[in-house]
Amino acid sequence: MEDNNQKKAILTPEKGIQVNKNWDRNRTLPLFASLILGGVFVYAGFVKILHPASFAEAVYRYQILPDIFINLTAIVLPWLEFFLGIFLVLGFWMPGSVILSNILMVCFLGASIFNVLRGLDISCGCFSTGAVESSLDIWTILRDTFFLATAVFLLYATFFSKDKTKIL
Amino acid sequence: MTWQIQAIILIAIVVGLFVNHFRTDTLSLKSDWSIQTREITTEGQRLDISLAQAKKLFVENSAIFIDARSPEAYAAGHIAGARSLPWDDAEQQFIEATENISSDTMIITYCDGETCNLSHNLALFLLDMGFSNVRVFINGWTVWVKRNLPVEKGNASLDGG
Repeated sequence: MEDNNQKKAILTPEKGIQVNKNWDRNRTLPLFASLILGGVFVYAGFVKILHPASFAEAVYRYQILPDIFINLTAIVLPWLEFFLGIFLVLGFWMPGSVILSNILMVCFLGASIFNVLRGLDISCGCFSTGAVESSLDIWTILRDTFFLATAVFLLYATFFSKDKTKIL
Repeated sequence: MTWQIQAIILIAIVVGLFVNHFRTDTLSLKSDWSIQTREITTEGQRLDISLAQAKKLFVENSAIFIDARSPEAYAAGHIAGARSLPWDDAEQQFIEATENISSDTMIITYCDGETCNLSHNLALFLLDMGFSNVRVFINGWTVWVKRNLPVEKGNASLDGG
């Protein structure tokens, strides 16, 4: 009996520590990732909301969308980024927000790679709408890749992690 | 979760259109994005110049070409005699790049790609700095090379064309 109690006393704290470690790792990292990605989206959206005409120029310079969609994109996309960022930061509608942020990041990264590969010398229009922003280059692609990796990690943590219930 | 995605997109569309409708700098849903329309200053001055005009001025040696692309792109190849003034660093390199150019000299800025805005912005900047005769050679580098017109490589050219 005494032996059993001793065993219990030894095992319980260890088990407790183990659970806490798991809890920290499985919850803190996705939270951190969603705050980073959410913050980036809020900032990127807000800057564009302030200058819709300049952002429309940036969309035009990418030479991807037909002219008819340029202004509509310039009006709606910044707000989409903004609300997506807010929802990611607040942890609101996470499954939908995480999927949408992955779709957006794939589109942004794809557009950047496409234009760098075809040698179009344009400014990114990612975090400022003015043409003074540095040109689209390998650093833009690396930066977008990092954000996409963050979004993919959130996708994993939200849908495939064993502890997804703690994140949702 | 599909409904969440649809809801977020719907919120963005509704708020975006609503705010755009009431803001002072409303963006119309459809604009004319043709190149010629865009190459006009706020005073109504037409900035674009055709290949034929640019070539004529080049042959007559009566204009200075300024390359608005990056120094790397300039070094890899540029219109013969063109000076380099990368838009990204225009304010710092302005004095050196415009040395010996009088304010009424014809200046032709160019970059690469039809939507490249570097030459357009550089032209507006040069107009602001007091040069009265500035034009934009749209998609200049590509058009020039396609016609096999004179080009050169390296960073040495500061003498104008």
